[in-house]
Amino acid sequence: MTLLRVAELQEERAHRLEREFQAVLDAAVDAVVLFDHEGRIELLNHAGERMFGYNEQEVIGLKVNILLPEPYRSQHEDYLRHYIEAGEPRIIGIGRELIAKRRDGSEFSAELAVGRVQGTDPPRFVGFIRDITVRRNAEEALRRSEAQLTIAQEIANLGNYVVHFDGKYEDYWSPHLYRVLGRRYGEPYIAVYEYLEPMVHPADRARWRQARAELDASGRQMDTEYRVIHPDGSLRYVHHIAQTTRAADGRLLRQVGTLHDITDRRRAEDEARQMQDRIAHFGRISTMGEMAAGIAHEVNQPLTAIATYAQACQRLIGQEDFSNTEVEAALTHIGAQALRAGEVIRRLRTFVKNREVRRELVEANRLIEDVLTLAQTDARHNGVRMLLEQAPQGPLVQADAVQIQQVILNLVRNSIDAMVEVPEARREILLRTLLDSEGDVEFMVADRGVGVDAATMAELFNPFFTTKPGGTGLGLSISRSIVRAHGGKLWCGANPGGGARFFFTLPAVPASAGS
Amino acid sequence: MRGNSNQARPTIFVVDDDAAVRDALKLLLRSVGHAVETFGSAQEFLDAYAEDRAGCLVLDIRMPGMSGLELQQKLNEKHSILPIIFITGHGDVPMAVEAMQAGAVDFIQKPFRDQDLIDRINQALEKDGANRAALGERNDIRRRLETLTPREREVLDLVVHGKANKVIAGDLKLSQRTVEIHRARVMEKMQASSLAHLVRMVLEVGQV
Repeated sequence: MTLLRVAELQEERAHRLEREFQAVLDAAVDAVVLFDHEGRIELLNHAGERMFGYNEQEVIGLKVNILLPEPYRSQHEDYLRHYIEAGEPRIIGIGRELIAKRRDGSEFSAELAVGRVQGTDPPRFVGFIRDITVRRNAEEALRRSEAQLTIAQEIANLGNYVVHFDGKYEDYWSPHLYRVLGRRYGEPYIAVYEYLEPMVHPADRARWRQARAELDASGRQMDTEYRVIHPDGSLRYVHHIAQTTRAADGRLLRQVGTLHDITDRRRAEDEARQMQDRIAHFGRISTMGEMAAGIAHEVNQPLTAIATYAQACQRLIGQEDFSNTEVEAALTHIGAQALRAGEVIRRLRTFVKNREVRRELVEANRLIEDVLTLAQTDARHNGVRMLLEQAPQGPLVQADAVQIQQVILNLVRNSIDAMVEVPEARREILLRTLLDSEGDVEFMVADRGVGVDAATMAELFNPFFTTKPGGTGLGLSISRSIVRAHGGKLWCGANPGGGARFFFTLPAVPASAGS
Repeated sequence: MRGNSNQARPTIFVVDDDAAVRDALKLLLRSVGHAVETFGSAQEFLDAYAEDRAGCLVLDIRMPGMSGLELQQKLNEKHSILPIIFITGHGDVPMAVEAMQAGAVDFIQKPFRDQDLIDRINQALEKDGANRAALGERNDIRRRLETLTPREREVLDLVVHGKANKVIAGDLKLSQRTVEIHRARVMEKMQASSLAHLVRMVLEVGQV
């Protein structure tokens, strides 16, 4: 082989290498820049041209630090000088994140790696620059959303957790879960259910275990409220929702859940309920006050009968030829009348008593029957006939019977008052229950009285608005709040035959729930 | 002879919508020897009652349908003289006042002492007896007046106006003797014991 041939081969190889090097540079995703010991650019690849917005020809011979904004621009010069003078690498051979600058002045996050080209003296360097804007944005977004989630959990006082059953991943407590469960963030990890169980209020624990067991056993979601006692002894209410994910073969994979501290809400609800009950109680007392004459009469009747029978007996016994049977019959009547008076008083006491509110399943029809009994005396003395029309399905409602009777009685009282002026033949009240098209139970109290004019209608439900001398103006406003608390609504309209009709609804309970 | 109802035993009519009160009152009043009839409503009583029956009415003021006050008004329209004792509840004083103004003899609040009621009933019966006796007497006088001939009636009118026989004879263009005969017939038919008695009877029935 001749020397010429060797030289040709070497040259050919050098060309090939250069072509291959060029191909690598052109295909690179990162910007590649070659520069000398003074930082003068010798080469910028296509990706670099695109990334920075320069043409390669424009930048050859310029300082490489034009690709950086301050303070990185000066730093870079220092690094380079340091390396040349002291041989001390600051960034050479290691990557770092910094801000790069495009031709148009805009800046972007970049990762920079610089290496020395081996065997060059004075040294030459190659820099790789990667645009990490997308990655940085994603990281930033993730960090921000995590921070927001933490803030949201703090605001909502809610924490979440993930429990893994296959051992591949670690369980998770959200930072705020620690607070919800009375711990400090960063305290050692404890399996959530094992930690929770002894905290659950003893009275709620059986229910809690039951809900847990169902969560493990079935696909059903856990959704339950219970009390927990924190390590510091304070009592909190939590709302716990959790669900289970299973593998295709049915194995438990994981459970995710949230624990929501609802103590403040529960306390506010309790207070609101107590307030509502106090108002309702007041309303019943004032309703009774308005009915006082009727009630007095109702108790007075049996008392009169008792007194009269007793006095008659005394007189009969004083006579020589008195009849035993007559005295016995009178004594029987005395007993019955005393019970009758007692019954009136018992009914009134139940109605007026400051009592615990208890919702239970009651028949809607029974509610209107009971009111009929309570209002009958009052109605009779005002010459008012009372008619009943009951829903044939006998629907059930979940309600506090006394409070609903109070609402109906109040409407009946209003109806009686509205008919004082109309001829007696017209004085009629219809109490009706029916199942409406939405499956609610609709109660109606309809009268043939003077009706409600538009101006009155607008104010009817306002507290302290009244058209009656001596009225409190609270009856309807209390009635409406009672009905709303039961999940229903109360409204009124004109009776087509003259007079007014008041309606309210209560959600019906499916008959199966009552059995 | 008509008008003998005041001699019959008076009846206590009890009207109350409460069956127990009604029944107890009946027993009490029977125990003191009264005849008692009870009614559950004002209408029932109106349908059954004949005006010539003596006694008194014990009436509940508050009742469904026709109230006690309305019944009183109906009886007044019929010029009934049956005395009414109202029985009232606690809150019924204004109504009781109204009843008294419309002529009720008394009212009594429930519950009441038996003796109070019995006393009031006895007073009412006395009043009814007196009323009916007076009414009976007036009816008798009217019946006697009806037996007079037109001429005798003319003579009577002039006599009670204090005219002497001679003046009457002049006024009626009769002889004094004829006037004396008519006058004697009038005294006889009217069963008058004296001129003063005759005048009182005519004043009694307001036919002066």
